[in-house]
Parts: sequence; structure tokens; C-alpha cells
Amino acid sequence: MTLPAAITPTTKADRALLAFANAAEFAARDVYEVAASVSAFGTEEQVVLVGFHDHHRAAAQALAGMAGSAATNERSDAVFNAFRGRVVGNDKSAIYDALRELENTLASTHLSLVGRLEGTGAAALVASILNVQARQAATLALLAGRPFAEALTNGAAPLTIGTGT
Amino acid sequence: MNRYSRRHVLRLSGLGAAGVLLAACGKQAGVEESKNVKSVGVLPETDGLASVEVTDIVLLRTAASLEYNAIDTYDAALGLGVFSGAFAAAGDIAKRLRDDHRGHADAINGLVTKLGGQPFTCSNPRLDEIYISPALALITDTDTEDPARDVLVLAHALENLAAQTYQSVVTLLSDKALREAAMTIGQDEARHAAVLARALQPGVQFILPSINADTGKPNIAAVPGAFGPLTPILVTVGPVNADGTRSSLTLETPSLNSLAYDSMLCA
Repeated sequence: MTLPAAITPTTKADRALLAFANAAEFAARDVYEVAASVSAFGTEEQVVLVGFHDHHRAAAQALAGMAGSAATNERSDAVFNAFRGRVVGNDKSAIYDALRELENTLASTHLSLVGRLEGTGAAALVASILNVQARQAATLALLAGRPFAEALTNGAAPLTIGTGT
Repeated sequence: MNRYSRRHVLRLSGLGAAGVLLAACGKQAGVEESKNVKSVGVLPETDGLASVEVTDIVLLRTAASLEYNAIDTYDAALGLGVFSGAFAAAGDIAKRLRDDHRGHADAINGLVTKLGGQPFTCSNPRLDEIYISPALALITDTDTEDPARDVLVLAHALENLAAQTYQSVVTLLSDKALREAAMTIGQDEARHAAVLARALQPGVQFILPSINADTGKPNIAAVPGAFGPLTPILVTVGPVNADGTRSSLTLETPSLNSLAYDSMLCA
């Protein structure tokens, strides 16, 4: 029996990609921090938003672990500023929609990373983050009151790697 | 005075025992050599298993087989006619997810063809045998209290299994483009699982992991953690047994005994 090769190591180019994702994930964490402080949300809703905030923090930390010294461990201001203004106010559905777009943007970005990373260990980590963010996007669509079919699709473009926009 | 000390006697007896042991292990005159493992009697000749290779094609054919498992399960679920009452809307979800799996199967088999492989256009027989058929038998038992809910529980588990399978092959596929193609579908399965979780447990409190206060078991969660798990998936369905419990199946991603190898053909 012949089995596929063992996990391949992370390359220098991989580490730059992982560092980019690390900054995007910290931006998402901070966007959720703003959203979770909106008074329109009840306690149970805040628990969910804080939970998603924690997931992005965990993703950022895991990516940093694999990116090593290439990771800045600082948020991408471009990503944060693109969403911060849309997660305030009293319109919960609008906030959920903005967060869904954030999740879908990150999901698209991670998908493109899976296709670019050389190291299979790094690709596996990003794939495991992608699957969770796809779930979060679907859940946010339903929380916003969207039809279930909208929860199943992702029309967001990936971030431009290197610029964070 | 004795010529041998106690130490001498022990040393000599040890040497003697070692000699007897070596003699027993050596060749014996008049005994025919056998290529079998040393044993009492003669073992029958065996042909051994055919040599197989776990290639990108095999991994993709396996993924396609899972898609057909899902298609067949949704067809079976819709055929039961159980989606009514609290789960009336679930019928539309089941139809949409089945159609998505048809699209996924075509996409994966398209990749298989492009790589020079033979498309796999039927469900994985091993997974049918050990997971889906037993689960459907439990669900359709006349004593099952809520078959609609149980069908959704099974579908949710299969979606999780599919999402895990695509995630797990990322480390095995040799081509980066194939990894991306696999995860394009894998994330779809993750979305399916989240939508079904919400259909089963609509409350906001069930989005993240929680424990059922009555049973002490985990509730179904739309988002079960910060990273996509690759752990076994527990499915509890069917009637309540005499001891008050319900039967559980443990689903795991395809392993070496359930891959769709090149030599496997659909009937």
C-alpha cells in the first residue's frame, strides 16, 4: 500500500501568507468586540458575539504559532476600518449582515490561502479555520432573518493579500 | 569441604538451561522447512491483498462517494414523508441540500476525470453498511417517537462528516489547486451543518456548545468550536430501548478500509 507523503513543512512564503491571515483575524476579533458592546443585543446574543470574537482570537493565535516571527500579532487596520462603522447602532439585522460579510470575506480569503500554501500543515490549519467561519457566516445570515438559501452561499471577494483590503 | 559453592551451582544450571533452549530453537534433523510462521500444523496459503495506492484520484473518488451517501440519505428522508408540523420547513432544506450534493458530486467527479480517473457515481458501500443503513433502520422503527427530528439529526451528522472529510484530505492531496477545490465544497458542507443545526435547535443559546440539562449530553451546536474538528461524530436516533437509552452510532471520516480505490466500481 502506498500512502500520500507526510505533512510538508511551512515555507518562508507560507509564513508571509499566514502572517497576513493573522492580522485579518485580529481585525475580526476587534470588530466583534465593538459589535458585542452594542446595547441592542440581549445577553444570549452577546454571548454568541463574544464566542465568535474568541474564535477569531484563537484563529489569530494559531496562525501566529505557525507564522513564527513573520506574524505581527496586530490587527489589520484596513479590515477593521472597513467594518467598524457598520457594527454600531440599534439595527441588529444590519449588524448581523455586516458581520456575515466579514465572515464570508475571511472565508474567501482563507480558501484562496489553502490554494496557495505549500505546507500541508499550514493549509490544514487554515482549512479548519475556514470551516468554522463558514458556519459562523451561515449562522449570522439566519440570525439576520435571511432565507436559509442565503446562509448557504458566499458572494464575498477575498482580501487582496499583502494589502489587507 | 564441598568443591562447589552455591554460586557455581547456580551458574552451571543457568548455562544448562540456556543450552536446552537454544537446541529447541534450532533446526531439527528430518523435519521439513515450512515458509509458514512457526506453528503447530500447516497454515493454508494466502494470496494477500492487492497492492493499492492512496492517490489524489482515490481521495476524490472517496469524496464523491460521500456525496452520493448524502444524496441517497436525503432521498430516503424525503421519501419517508415525515417533514410536517415543527419540521415542515425542513423538507425544503433537505431538497436544497440534496441538490447541492448532486452539484458537489459532479464537480468532484469532474476533477477525477480531469486527473485521468474513473468517476465514482454511487454511495460508499462501507459507510452505507456501517452508518447509514443501521441509522435509517432505527429511524424507521415503528417505535421511534420523532422520525422527522431523527432524520435531521442523521443529516446533520452526515454534513459534519462531509465537512470533516474535505478538511482532512487537505493534508493528503498533493496538488494545491485540488486542496482549494476540496475546501470550496468542504465549507459548503459546513454551512449545511450549521443550517441543519439551527433547524434542530432554533434558540440563540444553541449556537455555541451547550449541555442538555436533562441528559447531561452535548446539545447540537451550529458552531461547535474555534477550529473545524476531526473527531468522531455521535448520532443518537431511533426508539427508546428497554433500559431507557437510545442507540448511538459513531461516525468517522473514511479510512483505509473505506476509500474508493481505483479498482472499486459502482454496480
